Amino acid sequence: MNSFSGGMDNLERYRDIVPDYEAFKAIQSRPLPGSCRINTLKIERDALLGRLEEKGMLCRAFDWYSLGLKLDIESPGKMVENLLGYIHIQEELSMVPPLVLDPQPGETVLDLCASPGSKTTQISQMMNNRELVIANEPSLDRVAPLRANCERLGVLNVAITRYDGRIFPRGPFDRILVDAPCSSEGRERRGPGTISRSSRTKSLELQKLQIRLLQNAVRLAKPGGVVVYSTCTYAPEENELVVNAVLDEARLEKILLPGLIGCPGVNRWSGETLSDDLLRCARYYPHQNDTGGFFVARLIKN
Amino acid sequence: MSPGSSRTRTRNVFEPLSASEVAQPWQSRFGIPEDVFSGYQFFRKAKSIWAISDAPLPRLSFESLGMRIMNIKDRPWKPTTCALQVFGKHATRNLVHLDEEQARLFLEGGTQVIGPDMKLDLAPEPASDSASYQAFDLASDQASDPVSGPMPGYVVVFYRGEVLGCGLYSHGKLISQIPKERRAGEQPGR
Repeated sequence: MNSFSGGMDNLERYRDIVPDYEAFKAIQSRPLPGSCRINTLKIERDALLGRLEEKGMLCRAFDWYSLGLKLDIESPGKMVENLLGYIHIQEELSMVPPLVLDPQPGETVLDLCASPGSKTTQISQMMNNRELVIANEPSLDRVAPLRANCERLGVLNVAITRYDGRIFPRGPFDRILVDAPCSSEGRERRGPGTISRSSRTKSLELQKLQIRLLQNAVRLAKPGGVVVYSTCTYAPEENELVVNAVLDEARLEKILLPGLIGCPGVNRWSGETLSDDLLRCARYYPHQNDTGGFFVARLIKN
Repeated sequence: MSPGSSRTRTRNVFEPLSASEVAQPWQSRFGIPEDVFSGYQFFRKAKSIWAISDAPLPRLSFESLGMRIMNIKDRPWKPTTCALQVFGKHATRNLVHLDEEQARLFLEGGTQVIGPDMKLDLAPEPASDSASYQAFDLASDQASDPVSGPMPGYVVVFYRGEVLGCGLYSHGKLISQIPKERRAGEQPGR
């Protein structure tokens, strides 16, 4: 891909599905604002806000999630608050899937593709450090950051397994998150060059893995259990077309997060007409909330 | 059998431990009440002791179970910084309170001389508690030195009432035990 366009030509195929396409394209070269989540396992929200204020650090809570903060700080990872586990540096939209999963105290939850554990630890905190979250991560190299984040954040309800998610053997679980490996187009603002490396061919390759992960998750869920499928990419091949593969075994529920601007899923793509149910998925674009990009679907197993 | 028994062959499986067995060294060294450890289950694997919520565990092969709370590779066993950040606030003895500059040095992983102004609470363990005596202090294999004063061992390090982590107090010095990847000033930004 030529350097002049920065690879943005690869976004052209989304022109018809993204509202205000030119703004979508233009924002890709702007760096992502810093953000973090307050870790209520270790500190109360007011106490954390008081600390930041005392230090003169600028932050502002998200409109849609009071524990998410926009941070105007260079190298937030070096903040003492981060080292002590009072906050976790996490992209704004990465906080969406756990809220859509909505784990309840007393439940058993599976995070099928867990590392580095931003969502795992958010789920843990939503469950008040009780009951059990199984965090699965097949790659040994990626277990270390997952475990380090859990320990830094004071997490005591997460057990780590290392199965291939496609054949994770045993359930049932009340809720399952499948934050699938993807082409990560929505991370362009954090890691420039991601979009220039994406293609429909690569997305179709990933789709095979994603479908098998989601099918296994649906299998592992209790009847009536919740399965959330998410990616940080725009390609419908990796999103709606993956969800479409399990609609015989689960139904989609609409996602409501007041204060966060989202778009419905797509129900036609590449000349193919898909189920209208897919409109219940949610797409989040960077120019609508000044964030990265994300796709989320909430499924209820039949 | 004590969890740190050196005769036990190291096996790479999670072996359950009783809460009281795990709580004992924390109680004797830091005065942390045993009931702080209720609501968790404990395991020993390789050279660590792990704590996880007491929910039933499904039949799976686990890579880790909750948090590593003690390193039992060497005597004395060492409490982990992450465990002290959770349980250390209940400590009533063997605490060190640092001022801002000392706290900064501690978080960077530094060693510092305990000054006369440093707020120390290095109470000795109850003499009768000999069984767990070895757990977190070094007194059993070092002669008590009247010059250096308090008995050496691991301490809970505080700043402004918050636990920073684990320190090793020895011969008048406080040696930070903050893991390398969590030290201030050395983090790659994420």
